[in-house]
Amino acid sequence: MPRITFIESNGERKDVEAVVGESVMRAAIDNGVDGIAAECGGCLSCATCHAYIAEEWADKLSPPSEEEQVMVECAIDVRPTSRLTCQIPVTEALDGLVVEIPASQY
Amino acid sequence: MSQAVVREPKVYPEFTERPDHVPAELVYDVDIYNLEGAKDGPHEAWKRVQQEKPPVFWTPRNGGYWMVVKGENILEVENDAITYSMRAALVPNNPRPYPAPPMDIDPPDHSKWRILISPAFSPKAIQASEDMVRKFAIDLIEGFAPKGECEFVSGFTAVLPIVVFLTMMELPLEDREALMPHAAAIVRSPDPTKIHQARLALKDYVEQAVADRERRPREDLITKIINSKVGDEPVPRDMAVGMLALLLSGGLDTVKNLMGFSCLSLARRPELQRRLREEPKIIPHAIEELCRRHGVSNTARLVTRDTELAGVRLKAGDQIQQFSFLYGLDDATVPDPMKVDFDRPAPIPHATFGNGPHRCPGSMLAKKELQVWLEEWFPRIPEFRLKPGTRPQQDAGMVANISELWLAWDAAG
Repeated sequence: MPRITFIESNGERKDVEAVVGESVMRAAIDNGVDGIAAECGGCLSCATCHAYIAEEWADKLSPPSEEEQVMVECAIDVRPTSRLTCQIPVTEALDGLVVEIPASQY
Repeated sequence: MSQAVVREPKVYPEFTERPDHVPAELVYDVDIYNLEGAKDGPHEAWKRVQQEKPPVFWTPRNGGYWMVVKGENILEVENDAITYSMRAALVPNNPRPYPAPPMDIDPPDHSKWRILISPAFSPKAIQASEDMVRKFAIDLIEGFAPKGECEFVSGFTAVLPIVVFLTMMELPLEDREALMPHAAAIVRSPDPTKIHQARLALKDYVEQAVADRERRPREDLITKIINSKVGDEPVPRDMAVGMLALLLSGGLDTVKNLMGFSCLSLARRPELQRRLREEPKIIPHAIEELCRRHGVSNTARLVTRDTELAGVRLKAGDQIQQFSFLYGLDDATVPDPMKVDFDRPAPIPHATFGNGPHRCPGSMLAKKELQVWLEEWFPRIPEFRLKPGTRPQQDAGMVANISELWLAWDAAG
């Protein structure tokens, strides 16, 4: 199982075993990572599973769809590395991924 | 893509004859518009239905349809938006007199429409309007605080959501008086003709706003929606109008009643008030618990293919209503579900805003309105109670409602 490291807004690191095929958002929620709200449950309608993903991972992730690009702009404190984690499927290639959680989703 | 406009609503008989595929032992006379015991508390009345009736049963009232009252089956319906289409969201089953995307559009096309409105209810959009919501709430509360009493519905809950909506849409705030009765009639009236007229009135109101933007475009949501595209096609005018009318009707009576029932709980339990007053940090968590305990909205579905739910055979064309708030009130969901308990572990499970692709787009806005209310209420109002000699006016319906709630407190000075 690929390991994903979530860095919570207080700086705490949480290493989790992620399930291939599920979303990065699900990996966070199911492993008690704080700071991912996922209000809509993964339907791409709320922008509250927002997180930052280091650029060096960009080519290993599936690129954001047009709809994700619209919705990610609706999150708080958007940066160039912002993604919606419900839209990123976990693959073996993501082993070692580091995901930084923003200070607030609302 | 537009659908035909239905001019006249269908009037259903008091009782509809049981279709052949409905077993006689699954027929129960339960009327959402005249529910036994609802005037003493609709949630308690529905909880009794959940305890006493089968998970899925058929009522001959309001056109004849299935009711789903068990938590796990409610989730099953909400999460399968293809078998259970929202094209028949209201009972009795009368189509709206206008198309209402994204609600009446099934997946996979649904998401193309949903994305047109989601940004308007996103964290960023809500943050942008928060100062205004707060200022308005403070003005209302400070208006009645010195009096030592208020009628919370007309004085607060009926006003705040509509002002929030009008502000977000950049519509004149003075329009609220004219809009409120129509919004209430749509979800509360069992009379199809009245519902039909109220829907047309809201649609006419939105149509005027659209016509205004067509003449003078602005930097606002209405202009954005009428100029938007679905795929490569411009959104047809009637679809844009219908979508805006749906947003308008969806955000009014719902937040109002969620807030009203939550306040009734607090008025009856001073210890809950003390917690929120002394520990304002728990307010967001407390709101999840209040949402679980006091969900208000329940939408119906159209069964699109023969299927089975809780062992009951459903036929394509049947209508089925799932009671979203009964998921959070099911003993299988949380222990002691009828009790408001701010110490439940997070996340507090509930389906108050639904699930799946049709989940309420305004849930974050609704919670923000509750948060602002509680944060601004406690610094200004001392311990409050039901005003002696008054009785909260409650009832069931498509939206469980509380239409009058008198509160009293010891005014300073």
